[in-house]
Amino acid sequence: MKVTIRSWTGVATWRWVANDDNCGICRMAFDGCCPDCKLPGDDCPLVWGQCSHCFHIHCIMKWLNSQQVQHLCPMCRQEWKFKE
Amino acid sequence: MLNSYWLDANMSTDDVWKKICLAFPILADNECSRECPEDNVLEEIKELKLNKCIEDIVICRIEQIMRQKITPDFWSRFSERKTEIGGFERFKDAVDFLYNSFSNFLPMLENLEKFRTISRINRVIYGEETLLGTFKVIVTSTLLSQLPLTHQIITEDFYKVSFKVFCNADKSDVDQDESSEDVVQCGGCSHEIEQCHCQAILLVFHETNRKLIELDLLERLAGEVITTLIHIRIENHVQESCKGSFDTSYISSLESWLSTVVMGWLTHIYNVNAVSTQSSIKKFHQKISHFLYETYTRTRIEQLFNIIIEYPDSQPAVEDLRICLQKTDLRLYLTQKLQRALETRLLHPGVNTPDVLTAYVAAIRALRQLDPTGVLLETVTLPVRHYLRWRDDTVRCVVSSLTEEGPSELADELVRGEALQLDEGAPSDEDMTNWEGWNPDPVDADPSKTSKSRRTSDIISMLVNVYGSKELFVNEYRTLLADRLLSQFTYNTEKEIRYLELLKLRFGESQLHYCEVMLKDVYDSKRINAHLHSDPNFKLDRQQFPSTAMILSAQFWPPFKEETLELPDFVKEHLQIYTKAFETLKGNRTLSWKPHLGSVNIDIELKDRKFNLTVSPIHATIIWHFQTKNQWTVEELSQLMHVPATVLRRKIAFWQSQGMLREISTDSFLLVEESSTRSKCPVPPDMVCEDEETESAMASAHDQREEELQVFWSYIVGMLTNLDLMPLERIHQMLKMFASQGPTAVECSLRELRNFLDRKVREHRLLFSGGFYRLPKS
Repeated sequence: MKVTIRSWTGVATWRWVANDDNCGICRMAFDGCCPDCKLPGDDCPLVWGQCSHCFHIHCIMKWLNSQQVQHLCPMCRQEWKFKE
Repeated sequence: MLNSYWLDANMSTDDVWKKICLAFPILADNECSRECPEDNVLEEIKELKLNKCIEDIVICRIEQIMRQKITPDFWSRFSERKTEIGGFERFKDAVDFLYNSFSNFLPMLENLEKFRTISRINRVIYGEETLLGTFKVIVTSTLLSQLPLTHQIITEDFYKVSFKVFCNADKSDVDQDESSEDVVQCGGCSHEIEQCHCQAILLVFHETNRKLIELDLLERLAGEVITTLIHIRIENHVQESCKGSFDTSYISSLESWLSTVVMGWLTHIYNVNAVSTQSSIKKFHQKISHFLYETYTRTRIEQLFNIIIEYPDSQPAVEDLRICLQKTDLRLYLTQKLQRALETRLLHPGVNTPDVLTAYVAAIRALRQLDPTGVLLETVTLPVRHYLRWRDDTVRCVVSSLTEEGPSELADELVRGEALQLDEGAPSDEDMTNWEGWNPDPVDADPSKTSKSRRTSDIISMLVNVYGSKELFVNEYRTLLADRLLSQFTYNTEKEIRYLELLKLRFGESQLHYCEVMLKDVYDSKRINAHLHSDPNFKLDRQQFPSTAMILSAQFWPPFKEETLELPDFVKEHLQIYTKAFETLKGNRTLSWKPHLGSVNIDIELKDRKFNLTVSPIHATIIWHFQTKNQWTVEELSQLMHVPATVLRRKIAFWQSQGMLREISTDSFLLVEESSTRSKCPVPPDMVCEDEETESAMASAHDQREEELQVFWSYIVGMLTNLDLMPLERIHQMLKMFASQGPTAVECSLRELRNFLDRKVREHRLLFSGGFYRLPKS
């Protein structure tokens, strides 16, 4: 007997490759979306800082905008710089 | 008294008595003679100045004769009879006898009347002005005072026989030509056609009634019997004419039947002097037409369950019932009857939930028509709602019929689209503009609810209200949607999006947000697949077979059933390449495969056969392994594929049914290379095989709920450790206070909590005694 696979449709779930499950700011899951968004993934992406902490982009932007003097990572208080 | 007059008149007592007897022979002998005494005799008696006394004596004598002779004689004819016809004859005899005796009294009464005029007596005896009236009262009262127990049998015979003849005459007008030839017996008098007595019977009947009316005895003697007969007749007619057919209205035909046939018979009885009986006939008509309505209503109520089941077709019957209910006072009867019918015929474990739902929907629509205020609906269907709440699969059935293809009442209702009305909403003000058209709610209405909410709520709202919360329905819809998306594997989501939009109109945007993401996932997957396959950098085009994927946002899908499956390495490599491509496309994101989900299109080449099949990954993996070795035991496969043996056996059954595998000994399967031995069921090529049992990929709503309740368990253990003993209500209160706060609050009803705790008791993790729960001592 010979079995030939013509096509294979699998089912997978996507997830962010991050060192935590939840966003440190909004406490929502990374794989979900920030409180202001409706759709996860492309519409509500994550960003990483150089300190290797990551957040929903909308969350960290909100945080940074509210900081007048210095932009610090809310987790480790180091200066926040986006990881390239 | 006599003495004093006698002295005055200077006559002997005997002379006076003789004279009186000459004027009123009734006093002398027992027979009442017909001859009339001369006027001067009366004049002479008048001179005696004994007027009142004489009148008293005569009336007394009449009463005596009536009491001692005529009445016993009359009633003696009402004894045992052998046949109905016999009874008929006896009744006629009796009435004839009475009438004759009555007539015999008449000359004498005339005489007495004359006597009264000349001696100017005008006193009222027994409330009657005239002597004839008085006499009739005497006759009636003596007759009734000696009423024998069995008198009704004979009376009944008389009217039954005549009614039968009458109805037969009436009927034979209609269908004379068809049936008269082969009928030997006359339908009316049960004699042979040639010797039909019908005419004679009618004649006698007519005559007897005339006599009874003349005696003023018809009502007294036969009224009850006539009424009973008519009632029976009406009942039979209603039963016959509207047995089992609900698609025509019967009210008008029944009414015309009543006014022609029944009233025809009645006028036949009464129609002696039309003017005096007019009013009593009218009164009778009112009475029996009310009875007709009541009988008809009762009949319809008996059939109401069937009427409801056949609803849109049985609309005329419902309309009839609506009209009848206004004329009769049978609302309560209807509620009780229908509830009982529902309980015995619908609300038991033998009925499928979809059937219960269909009946419930039909009931909603039918009862709406019956009572637009919705009160009837609310009271009658209360047990149905309670029952549906208790059934596990109600939500699933409702949701699936909502989104079902093809003609489904619920789907139509959904398309009609209105915002969902739930009970919990604040009571809205009554409509003030149309205040003149306002009607109070029926008496059996529940005062705690606004009449508007009853009037307006539509079928879907009523169904959702069974549970009182939208969440349950939305969750169930989500599970069903997930199942459909993952079983069909079409990226064509237009139809689903349409339904989702419709549902959003009803359940609100926010509730269905998750479903929206799910549909977007499917749409996005299609795009990603196309993208990955079109770009040569990803090397997907160089694969031996095209692999595509459904990429889901796990947070938004209902929890998946956890199942393991080890795919063949060959396949795993392919999926790995796909994952790599995805990671390149979407930086920082990766995929976790659900190996047991998906669909595979495979070609199978055997020595003498060739198939193309679309199967699930587990089926494909099983048959894949049979390439390397043509005989496997379940245990070996189970180890290789990381699939439990029970599941595996079930899946292998599919290949057995395809004639590819054969069980040679218990749990050991052999590949069937050549089908020559069992070519009985050739499999058509290119067939798409659905899994025999379409299993849900999702964890069931029940399991999900269980998970949620587990949250409470730690609270409960904590409480019981500190407080030792607690009753159910207190646990519930404490949970409400502490556990149900915060964004992820889980609502839990008292009933649900009891079930949960009882389960824990069964699992020996709690003890229950005397109404208190406590932890077992470890």
